[in-house]
Amino acid sequence: MNKVELLAPAGDLERLKIAYLYGADAVYCAGKKFGLRANANNFTLDELETATQFAHEHEKKIYVTVNIIFHEKELDGLEDYLKELNRIGVDAIIASDILVIKKVKELHLKLEVHVSTQASILNSEAGLFYKSLGATRLVLAREASIEDIKDIKENTNLELECFIHGAMCTSFSGRCVLSNYCTGRDANRGGCAQICRWTFKIKDHEDVFSMTPKDLNLIEYIKAMIDAGVNSFKVEGRMRGIYYIATVILVYRRIIDAINTNTLTSGEIHYYLDVLNRSANRDSTPQFIHKLPKKEEQYFLGRQELSNQDFLGLVQDYDEIEHIVTLEQRNYFSVGDVVEFFGPNIETFTYKIKEIWDEEGNFIEVANHPKMIVKLRVDVGLTKYDMMRIKVFDKQNYL
Amino acid sequence: MKTNSYLIAVTSEDLLKLKVKNINFLFPMTGYSVGFYHTFTFEEISVPHSYIFINRILDKETISNLKRDLANLPETIAGICFTDLGILHIVKELNLSVQLIYMQNHNTTNRLSIEYYLEYVDSVLLSTDITEEEMRLILDNVKKPLVVPYFMRADAMYSRRTLLTNYADHFGYPKKTMETLQEEITDQSFFAVENEYGTVLYADKFIDYREFSHENILYYYINPLGLTNSEIEAILNGEEILNTDTGFLHKETYYRLKEEEECL
Repeated sequence: MNKVELLAPAGDLERLKIAYLYGADAVYCAGKKFGLRANANNFTLDELETATQFAHEHEKKIYVTVNIIFHEKELDGLEDYLKELNRIGVDAIIASDILVIKKVKELHLKLEVHVSTQASILNSEAGLFYKSLGATRLVLAREASIEDIKDIKENTNLELECFIHGAMCTSFSGRCVLSNYCTGRDANRGGCAQICRWTFKIKDHEDVFSMTPKDLNLIEYIKAMIDAGVNSFKVEGRMRGIYYIATVILVYRRIIDAINTNTLTSGEIHYYLDVLNRSANRDSTPQFIHKLPKKEEQYFLGRQELSNQDFLGLVQDYDEIEHIVTLEQRNYFSVGDVVEFFGPNIETFTYKIKEIWDEEGNFIEVANHPKMIVKLRVDVGLTKYDMMRIKVFDKQNYL
Repeated sequence: MKTNSYLIAVTSEDLLKLKVKNINFLFPMTGYSVGFYHTFTFEEISVPHSYIFINRILDKETISNLKRDLANLPETIAGICFTDLGILHIVKELNLSVQLIYMQNHNTTNRLSIEYYLEYVDSVLLSTDITEEEMRLILDNVKKPLVVPYFMRADAMYSRRTLLTNYADHFGYPKKTMETLQEEITDQSFFAVENEYGTVLYADKFIDYREFSHENILYYYINPLGLTNSEIEAILNGEEILNTDTGFLHKETYYRLKEEEECL
């Protein structure tokens, strides 16, 4: 079986490092220019250089999005920006505008070009067009079926990348300017206001509704997608925090590893599915991979975005002699709570909090200040960046 | 009336009775188009020098069917207007000698990208997402004449989902294939048209660029979805029409929130 890539989003350096640590083989991120999340933090060129060095020191890859559709005023600066990315040594850029793809070749840059999902590729003929321009990888439209994927692989022999998890557009990506009409913010230059998630009315009807799709989740199709020729499995969410990235990437890392060793069970899949849905606080479905989504794959109204407080603490240090873990608190917890620890190098385990000490060594009943430092006695060895969360699901019940 | 020719989407059979000079018909093709409630098979196109419109994003099965159909392209077809770049490969493979016009409305927003597309096609439709100044800059600088919006419903979203059917199923209403949707906060309305291949949301107001002209124009494009022949004739005669807008012609979009603050 081909080695496949797990590709994570990263909105900043901290999230990039967490993604690699929790099992991502590569991350994608954006610089301050020309990316489709114009109002996120994103990376300065210096930060991209640091990130690239970090990635390569750890034998990981880094891809940078240059995936806006250019208007006249953005043309200035593109060549210099591409040359800088080339100098920094990022492994590839992700582009959708033909201009960017052509420029990389014209400037004789070493950058690989991955064609963004914004290009809505669903057939091998379109893939061959981009191959003729010099692209080495296609990020397929989220609307691709397994049959489409197989056909594109067979006829283009290009690397294929598919989104497997996260939020979706209602439209084909890149084919929506509702935001332009409703807010003046250009969706295809990074200003999307996500109008499809706002509420609409149909003339003469009382009901209000949204067109929000449920999240994408292809956990049950990873094996079939590997067999169809997918090389890279991509998680959406450059705006997401470290807990979400750690949880989702670790789940998919374990699934891919279990597929590689032929040990994945349906019980594990169901367990991981529950973990994933809770981390996003949204339902998820396979969407287009096996059928056309209907009303069941959509939220209409009445859904509230209540974030849960599952992420309790981030491990800062572990004293192997005293078995004391130092945690940075992220959400309220108290003595008596049943929680669990998870991390890239441990099996997730359950833990009942018996004692909590503050930084000065005083016993406390509750950890109730954001980012306060506390200590717990934990017999199982932990490492920096392991995480503590509320225990909701017990894997044993699924096996 | 403009001296250049018009390219008009045939939104009903009745439209073929239009008595207007310098007009070229663009037929949305059954099985290969979205956003139209009347489409045509190849057998139904008898007008000489017609264009066909293939604006779906094509999956494996559909592009395979299309390849078969294009292999027997009738002589009445002078050109193909399309959005899926896979069509370029088919046309080359079949060695078809037809005019090719790239009509992906959101991709043709700057002169350099358009010049690159023009290496593969005869013309492109200029985007409705750009300003008049940008349109002129592009038309001044590209080597081939372009198709420009004239009077049309501008597409604002294309989804593979059957959004109107899903809505009707969810709320228990009879299914409709056309509806006007109104966004609640901004009151912006969109005209939605669904077929089995997906849903297109158009800006509800027709964009009216009739005042715009330039030397480097191949066709003035008209999508008269929902209009009668007499209304179309009135448009071509320069008469004032209700429910129109100039879209982004004089209204630049932005994408960084700080820019908005600066503008305010």
